[in-house]
Amino acid sequence: MIAQLLLSFLLGAVLVYAFSERRRSPVVGVLALAAAAAGLYFVWMPAHATTLAELAGVGRGVDLIIYIWVVISLLVLLNLHLKLRTQTEAITSLARAIAIAEGLRAHSETQVAPPAHYPEKWEPVFGKDHAPAKP
Amino acid sequence: MVKSKVFADVWVVIAAYNEARAIALVLAGLAGLPYRVLVVDDGSTDGTADVAGRAGVAVLRHPINLGQGAALQTGIDYALLRGASYVVTFDADGQHRPEDIAGLLAALAANDADFALGSRFRGGAIDLPALRRLMLRAATWFTRATTGLALTDAHNGLRAMTRRGAARLRLRQNRMAHASEILHQIAASGLRYVEAPVTIQYSRYSLAKGQRASEFVVILLDLFAQRLHP
Repeated sequence: MIAQLLLSFLLGAVLVYAFSERRRSPVVGVLALAAAAAGLYFVWMPAHATTLAELAGVGRGVDLIIYIWVVISLLVLLNLHLKLRTQTEAITSLARAIAIAEGLRAHSETQVAPPAHYPEKWEPVFGKDHAPAKP
Repeated sequence: MVKSKVFADVWVVIAAYNEARAIALVLAGLAGLPYRVLVVDDGSTDGTADVAGRAGVAVLRHPINLGQGAALQTGIDYALLRGASYVVTFDADGQHRPEDIAGLLAALAANDADFALGSRFRGGAIDLPALRRLMLRAATWFTRATTGLALTDAHNGLRAMTRRGAARLRLRQNRMAHASEILHQIAASGLRYVEAPVTIQYSRYSLAKGQRASEFVVILLDLFAQRLHP
């Protein structure tokens, strides 16, 4: 009973996480949602898990649940990786903007156009585009 | 010899990370040629930017180290902002020859192309170790298979492009996978490209800074991750 409550709590947390991620990455969200829901069901219906496990040729219901957990972990890992990439790109844009702005200031011995950027090349990182458009 | 008048506003972009030892010689080689030189210091900690600044060329400085691909994109963006008509990418470690730039620009004009890509296998590769040659051959084969570009040398840092071509590049691979990414974007742009012979002078220094076999795995992983993340 203690194990079931603990697992229910953890899987519930995954459910909430998956639900909140659904908007950002529908595929990851829906898959994690389904996996967590299935996990919750089998935690409370171990007999069904065993039946299903035997059908799938796994042996024990507990093993099946562990496998489900592994799948959830991998999905979360993939999701984190994608998030990290997005963040790296934001940092790159920021560092690039700083380098270019400082360069324009330092090399302003000649007439320099204002730092217009190219909306067709770079999507604004924070939603709204504040930079002046290309002349 | 190509006249400088024909190719006005040529910007040579050099991405440099901790190249203080080599870059002064590279910049000295470019001095006196009719090009604007821009060094993008990718967050070096050895004073690369100061060395370049003393050579009197334009220097941009990434506040943090991001990788060669990111530095090249910064340099290309800046050159375009400053009105470059042509952008050349050039390595900081001394393995490229400044006189090959004129050949690349001539190849652009002669073929009405937007990208001229240096090829050491059409030109020369001096002191190229056998294992490195094999790795480069494999990389070239891989690139041909995935981009459909008919190239003889897929990972050469010496390239020239027109303003129109440069504006089509949007490198998102910060690390070394950008070499493949550039080729993918050239293929996707549908613009004309041409290969031109260049000579690569290998030295103990440039080999130490170059790609190791293990890094090819990292490059492949980077390229794969990109597919997952449109």
